[in-house]
Amino acid sequence: MKRLLPILIAGLVLACANDPDPAADKAQFVRIYDNTRFNASYFPIDIRQTTDGGYLILGGRRLSTSNFTGIYLMKVDEFGKFISDVEVPDAMVNPVGPLLESNGKFYFFCMTSVGLQTQLQEVDPSGAIANTINIGGTYPMAAGTDNSNFLLLSYDIANKKSQVSIIGSNGSVQKTKGFNIGAGDAVEEPIINHFLRTGKQLPFQVGKAGSGQYFFNGFYNYTLSLVFTDLNADNPLGVVQGQQDKGGFSQVLPLEGNAFAAARFNFGDNYILPNLSINSSGVSSITDLGGNNFPELVNDAPIRILKTTISSKEVLIFASNTRSRTIALFFYDKVSGAFVGSHYLGFSNPFEVTNLVATVDGGVSVCGTTYVAGRFPRICIFKLSKETLSGSLQK
Amino acid sequence: MIRTSTVLLAILISFQLHAQNKKKSNYTQSSTKKQDAFLQKQWWIGLKGGVNFTQALPGQRYSVLSGTTNYPLGQLEKQYEGFSKTGSQATLEITFYMKGFSFSFQPTYRHSRFRYSNQFEWTDTENSANSLLLNYKQENKVDYVDLPLIVKYDLTKTKLRPYVQAGAFYSMLINATKSVAVEGVDYASGGINQFSNEPLIVGATDLYHNSYWGILFGGGADYNLGNVRLVMDVSYRIGMSNVTNTSNRFSNDRLSGIGDAMDDMKLNNIVISAGCLFPMRFLGTGFKTLDR
Repeated sequence: MKRLLPILIAGLVLACANDPDPAADKAQFVRIYDNTRFNASYFPIDIRQTTDGGYLILGGRRLSTSNFTGIYLMKVDEFGKFISDVEVPDAMVNPVGPLLESNGKFYFFCMTSVGLQTQLQEVDPSGAIANTINIGGTYPMAAGTDNSNFLLLSYDIANKKSQVSIIGSNGSVQKTKGFNIGAGDAVEEPIINHFLRTGKQLPFQVGKAGSGQYFFNGFYNYTLSLVFTDLNADNPLGVVQGQQDKGGFSQVLPLEGNAFAAARFNFGDNYILPNLSINSSGVSSITDLGGNNFPELVNDAPIRILKTTISSKEVLIFASNTRSRTIALFFYDKVSGAFVGSHYLGFSNPFEVTNLVATVDGGVSVCGTTYVAGRFPRICIFKLSKETLSGSLQK
Repeated sequence: MIRTSTVLLAILISFQLHAQNKKKSNYTQSSTKKQDAFLQKQWWIGLKGGVNFTQALPGQRYSVLSGTTNYPLGQLEKQYEGFSKTGSQATLEITFYMKGFSFSFQPTYRHSRFRYSNQFEWTDTENSANSLLLNYKQENKVDYVDLPLIVKYDLTKTKLRPYVQAGAFYSMLINATKSVAVEGVDYASGGINQFSNEPLIVGATDLYHNSYWGILFGGGADYNLGNVRLVMDVSYRIGMSNVTNTSNRFSNDRLSGIGDAMDDMKLNNIVISAGCLFPMRFLGTGFKTLDR
């Protein structure tokens, strides 16, 4: 009995051991980055994890001196705690995501507020602008990577063309090809409204398919279309036509060959297509693609797709905004395309998704906008641990 | 009501026992020695109830909101109100008395409450009329089963016996809830718009660790009334381990959505109890069962 008592006491004390757990604090957190300025307005554009475990966020901010969006950069640590931010001077506007990585550096495109010339900004991992390179051309709309080079989709306002360029990390333009959006001001109007953020934010995108062809999601021949090109031929190799600016792809994620994970919108409705084979030659219509309908999502919802591994299973995560102002994550098996789970983020204040990234610890960070006190737009991050993600999958 | 009935019942029993004892008499000297030896030890069992007041002592601070450049220092830190909310508890006391010392096991069901608040303000440097003030008041209600082991020492051997006590306890979480009330003043509405939202009440059991331990000290007094003992005591309980579940800090979307994350914290309590104890060892003869 005399021996049992100390063992019992030690056992009880150990059972209560609950010291601060930095590993748990890194694995799962929620952060909202607040500013006490009443009229400050920030929104994220993209998030990337840096080698120190922290996060770099590219964002936009409201300017009183320009109709375009200003540039905001923020660095947070691995716990999501704010480290520093930069409000890039008003001479640079219209930041375009995603944040591009090349040789350990981060880049993004923007344009000058006077002259509207496209610029390539190099950002160091601390979130400071390290270099600015003039690219030329106007109205950058979307960016992507092609090995060590960058892909840029821009709008050539003088010739009314959607323009795809391959650009080196030193700013050299290696190849460019333009595609007519169609004659008349009507087709241009939604593009300009997108830039001024006075209308719908259109899901412009540029990238390289598993087949090796380049693609862009932008205006071509009067409609928001998914266009395939080799950047040599003047005409597209293939086109999936949308419905003017009322229907089109919300996002596509190239898988293998002609396979894509995709989401589309059509006159307010939203469809998820986790395993879609797209004919990259010839002309087809997006309305023929079908998909899983999600009435719980807001009209023409922005949808972001991430391929990651959860519990040793390749999973596609589709992130979007619900009508109840939360962020919804839908999980699909990459191989079978079967729905395997869901997870919802946010409550009380409205939340909107911007992007999500896989983290080195097997988790996922979801970056978005929330409205603090129901009114102040602020950047937020939900860091989900791999255990939480695993728990979201159906057993 | 239940507590009042219990005390009345105890008093009635004590008078009955007292009356019976008066009828007994005449013991020899040798039996008195045996009785003395017998009365050096006694078991007591009884019930206590009372109130408690809780203080949460924050350790490492956490917040969902993270201030950016020029954010006012301290605005994110919660302001804790110590010992401001009344809780309650019910205790079963089992005590072994020997030569002035008592060794007591007192399993307790305890309901404790504590509160903290945050105040946030947004202002416009260009237009001072544009500002918003929000005050988040968060009340935590936690239910624990406490398992304390206590040593008491009687300071006197009179009918009214003051004592001091010290010990340790182990507490197991049963349930926890949080209530969040938001009040604010909006000066940007063209006037002074004072508003308050309906409190949000959420289950918070997952946010607390399932157990903690601590030490206690205090004092009290027994009053021997016939063959029963009325007891009243006060103890100060010092939590020695963190009550927050460190792995579930951000798991509640409702609380995260309104900007709340639990700090690491320890709970201290002032516990005031009163009750009645009954002896477990009786003699067949007329002398008192009370220990000496």
